[in-house]
Amino acid sequence: MPISYQLLKSVTSRMYLRSLRAVPADAKKALAAAQARETDGVARTTLDLMVANARAAEERGHFLCSDSGVPTYIVRIGTKVTFDGDVKRAIRDGFAEVVATSDPPLLKHVTNPLTNERGYAGKDMPIVTFDVLDGADYVEIICSPKALGSGRWAALEIFTFPSLAEIEEYVLKVVLRAGSQACPPLVVGVGIGGTFDYATKLAKESVVRPMGQSHPDPVVADMERRLLAAVNETGFGPMGTGGATTAMAVHVDYAAGHGFTPVAVCFNCWIDRRTRVRISDDGTVSETE
Amino acid sequence: MVETLNIELPADEDRVRSLRAGDLVTLTGEIVISAGLPTYRRLLSQLRHGIEPPLDLHGKALFHVGSQSEQVGDEHRLLYLNPTTSTRFDAEMPELIRGLGIRFAGGKGGLGDESVAAMRDTGCVYLSFLGGGCTLLSEAIRRVTGVFWTEMVSHYRLVQVEVERLGPLTVGIDAHGESIYRNLRERAGARLPAILEKLSRERATGRSTS
Repeated sequence: MPISYQLLKSVTSRMYLRSLRAVPADAKKALAAAQARETDGVARTTLDLMVANARAAEERGHFLCSDSGVPTYIVRIGTKVTFDGDVKRAIRDGFAEVVATSDPPLLKHVTNPLTNERGYAGKDMPIVTFDVLDGADYVEIICSPKALGSGRWAALEIFTFPSLAEIEEYVLKVVLRAGSQACPPLVVGVGIGGTFDYATKLAKESVVRPMGQSHPDPVVADMERRLLAAVNETGFGPMGTGGATTAMAVHVDYAAGHGFTPVAVCFNCWIDRRTRVRISDDGTVSETE
Repeated sequence: MVETLNIELPADEDRVRSLRAGDLVTLTGEIVISAGLPTYRRLLSQLRHGIEPPLDLHGKALFHVGSQSEQVGDEHRLLYLNPTTSTRFDAEMPELIRGLGIRFAGGKGGLGDESVAAMRDTGCVYLSFLGGGCTLLSEAIRRVTGVFWTEMVSHYRLVQVEVERLGPLTVGIDAHGESIYRNLRERAGARLPAILEKLSRERATGRSTS
């Protein structure tokens, strides 16, 4: 049975709203762990407020943050899946439905980059990237609304045959530049290698990886552990007013490439907005995050 | 538990100067909010041309906070409010702080050194709101007492709103030249060599290479 336009539209619009109204379970766990660990009084109060705000938003169906950002979707299509209707149009129409019906209403954050005019619609909006899952009979969709607070501080630099030390130093420098501005405690996503565009894709896909899952390659898993401790030693703390928790997780991935090695770094704020859903070819929907 | 001070607005210079970086406060009274860069640029342009702002901001609180409102008849209702990144306004704020005579600036993420100097000179503090604190911060909304520049999108407008116990907010920059943001940035920069050194040691002895 093909996956219908109507199902894709309703699922993707629901995902966007859920991302605005609920903190993922693993991020809640990480915030609770930070609460237990934090000794600085103001940092503790800030974490308490974050946890209370997450609970209140979920209970009342309210937004955690007024910046609903731009909706971004990563769509991974199993090769055994069939569709009945346009996929991109379903996602675009789903977003339009959210804009028309959301309570409370969304602010106009979608911006024409040539005129800075604000609205809800625009070229290539929502931003959707596609991938193929060989042999799978389902579609996996990740929705991650991207706001200015954490989106602004992402960065990319292209190195030539860098050492691990140079790569790790660059990640730290990007974290220092973001400082108090990206709404810590953060999730940091790092993409190493491939090409200019592929490194950023790796960083983005890393940042939405479920927390607590280390990279399968032990060299990368070690780098993740090292960098998490290093980021927390910077001392920016919750909301960047000081404390022991600047990041909840650092996720790294890499790809083979040439000797010009791009390193991309991106951030999710403490709300860690992301929702993950699988739709089976028979139309069954399971929310995995 | 850190003590939270409730401040009644408007607050005079002595009260503002009594606050220290790291204090937690809540605010009760009227505040003015806008998250629009065009808004702050317009305020600055008017200030330079000697044009009075559409509402008197002297002695008031002007925050980098956006809001969504709905209009029912003549009445504006504020549905929610939440801060935006203040460093976006680094270029405009030093002159606005001096020229408008505001007692409170704020938003999230802090302001640069020129703003810190302006706040020290004029008796103004910067308050850090919880980014992504929309649900709880919005509980403080009591009523809208003025909406200006309504031709702009909702979060760009200058909105004057009465709040009750808004916060807690952290004093990020006080009126004595103390900035949590500058201190943390400098401290992180000073720690960086030691952090990198530790990373190198761990890389050499880490599980992956053992």
